Amino acid sequence: MSSAVYIAGVGVISAIGNDVAEHLVSFEQEKAGMDAITLFDTIHRGELPVAAVKLTTRELAEMTGLSPEISRTTQLSLVAAKEAIADAAIPDPSKWRTGLISANTVGGMDKSEDFFVDFLADNNKGKLRFIWDHECGSITETVADQLGVSDVVTTISTACSSSANSIFYAARLIKNDVLDIAIAGGADALTKFTLNGFNTLMILDKEFCKPFDEHRAGLNLGEGAGYVVLVSEKVAKTLTKVPYCKLSGYANSNDAYHQTASSPEGTGSYLAMTRALEKSGLRPLDIDYINLHGTGTPNNDSAEGTAITRVFDGKFPPMSSTKSYTGHTLGASGGIEAVFSVLAIKHGIIYPNLRFETQMEDLPLKPVTKFLKGQKVRNVMSNSFGFGGNCTSLIFSTS
Amino acid sequence: MHCVSALHGEPRNRRGGTLQRRRLFGGRRDVSRLYDRWFHFTAFVLKGPYYISANCTISDGIISEDGAVLFKSATPINDFLLTAYQHFQFNYPKFYKMDNLSKLGWLTADLLLQNTFNKDGYKSEDVGIVIANANSSLDDDLKYYDTVADVASPSLFVYTLPNIVMGEISIRHRFKGEQAFFVQEAFNADFLYRQVSYLLDNDLVQACICGWVDVLRQDYRSVLFLVEKTKKGNAVLFSAESMDTIFNGGFE
Repeated sequence: MSSAVYIAGVGVISAIGNDVAEHLVSFEQEKAGMDAITLFDTIHRGELPVAAVKLTTRELAEMTGLSPEISRTTQLSLVAAKEAIADAAIPDPSKWRTGLISANTVGGMDKSEDFFVDFLADNNKGKLRFIWDHECGSITETVADQLGVSDVVTTISTACSSSANSIFYAARLIKNDVLDIAIAGGADALTKFTLNGFNTLMILDKEFCKPFDEHRAGLNLGEGAGYVVLVSEKVAKTLTKVPYCKLSGYANSNDAYHQTASSPEGTGSYLAMTRALEKSGLRPLDIDYINLHGTGTPNNDSAEGTAITRVFDGKFPPMSSTKSYTGHTLGASGGIEAVFSVLAIKHGIIYPNLRFETQMEDLPLKPVTKFLKGQKVRNVMSNSFGFGGNCTSLIFSTS
Repeated sequence: MHCVSALHGEPRNRRGGTLQRRRLFGGRRDVSRLYDRWFHFTAFVLKGPYYISANCTISDGIISEDGAVLFKSATPINDFLLTAYQHFQFNYPKFYKMDNLSKLGWLTADLLLQNTFNKDGYKSEDVGIVIANANSSLDDDLKYYDTVADVASPSLFVYTLPNIVMGEISIRHRFKGEQAFFVQEAFNADFLYRQVSYLLDNDLVQACICGWVDVLRQDYRSVLFLVEKTKKGNAVLFSAESMDTIFNGGFE
């Protein structure tokens, strides 16, 4: 049994940077990652902005050493996971039981879409090597092989809370003495499949998204990957550098209200936040920053806002949605935002909620609008709420 | 066969030796490999016996429960489902929003559970659902696809997955146990028997709703079984044979 779980390393890639250092620069310069679609051909080009990683799949493949025919999801996953492991710099890692708990929602869909162009025209055509890693688990397997991790390798796919749940599950594996080290988080690449799906649901903003704003009109799709390296107390003692923080609280709940919407009262998110607080032994006023789920859709932000209003009862900590920078990276968002939460503690920074103008009418919430340095950030709550009502809150705390 | 939502006990997907796993981290034991072995082992050591406490069939304009006909109406499917809903005086406004697969499964489950099932006897987590069909959500997929040329319909889109029917049943009855949905060419009682027995044997659930819910345009057939660990009233032994007999219209 390990009573505490420490964060020893972080790695991230998104539309605003290819590693942690680039992200910190983009945050400070308040530079959003949204742009016109260039990754694939679509009738939505020029109409819907997306937050794509600023590297082609071929360029990513040069970084990872994988074939460019391997899914972009895998490439992104490997880049961020490798950065997290290098950052953790665990002495003698082969001594320990190590797992990779990785999330994604699109799997190798980007390559499957290429396959189907030829296959639908003639079902004797289409390159099978484009669909061999179509399914979500295949992405994790390839990354685990590349990392040489084999003790526990598993994939979690619970829509937009996927990678928050990976971190949650990884912490439990360490606490229950199944693993000593876990690389946990997730990845997702932009695909036509998700773009068209979200467009069908009529929740994509044609402008850059405005989370928590009265005049928000939907989300921008993003892509990327984010991983943290979680370690047990035993491993933490062997580290040559001080761990960033602890994962002190986590909880998952489901309001089972609708396939793709939260209940108006935000019951699921309320339960996730209050139970994560309970688990961490913290009071609401101990939270120094909330990294919101804040997708920018009318439904999410009002449900999440309502739940926060109930949990924090008038004493609101600074809060912001970093999706105003990265877009909504779906299965990667929980991992990416976990990295941002850890960095907020480490550097004493709070990220602005870009493009916020007008407070939501019925809610007393006003996110942070300027990049803040020199803050005392001890406890950060990170929210990730997914389709199907799957709601997860994580709490990171100074160790 | 395609498994839409995995059963408990599938910790990893193995592709089978195409890549040699380098062991930079070189752990001492492969936990998931042991888990796999355990899973395959226990799958063949069946305990039981378990019992089918109730069954409900909706097919060819007829609704029957435990062999007794409850309702008949030889109308096209949309009308049939609505008339049945009204006939039993259900009051569940969300029913109107559902696709036909969910309506069919929802009605079958409600009638299956209305008399026999003691909901208070189980925790939410202790009731599982295992359903199979041949046409996945194709009925709704086609309707959705017809709207794409004009304005793609969000309300049809959210039903373009077969396992949504299990979600609708779960929301209605507050079930939170293990679930799986399988797409198979035909009703496979033996397969279903193994899946459900596994859940019950390992105490992953204490009761399970299982069976077949299939719709494509005007063709529909739904047969659900309530499987419990204790014998109640006219319950029959839970077995592949008894499910086959009921599925084929026996015990009438």
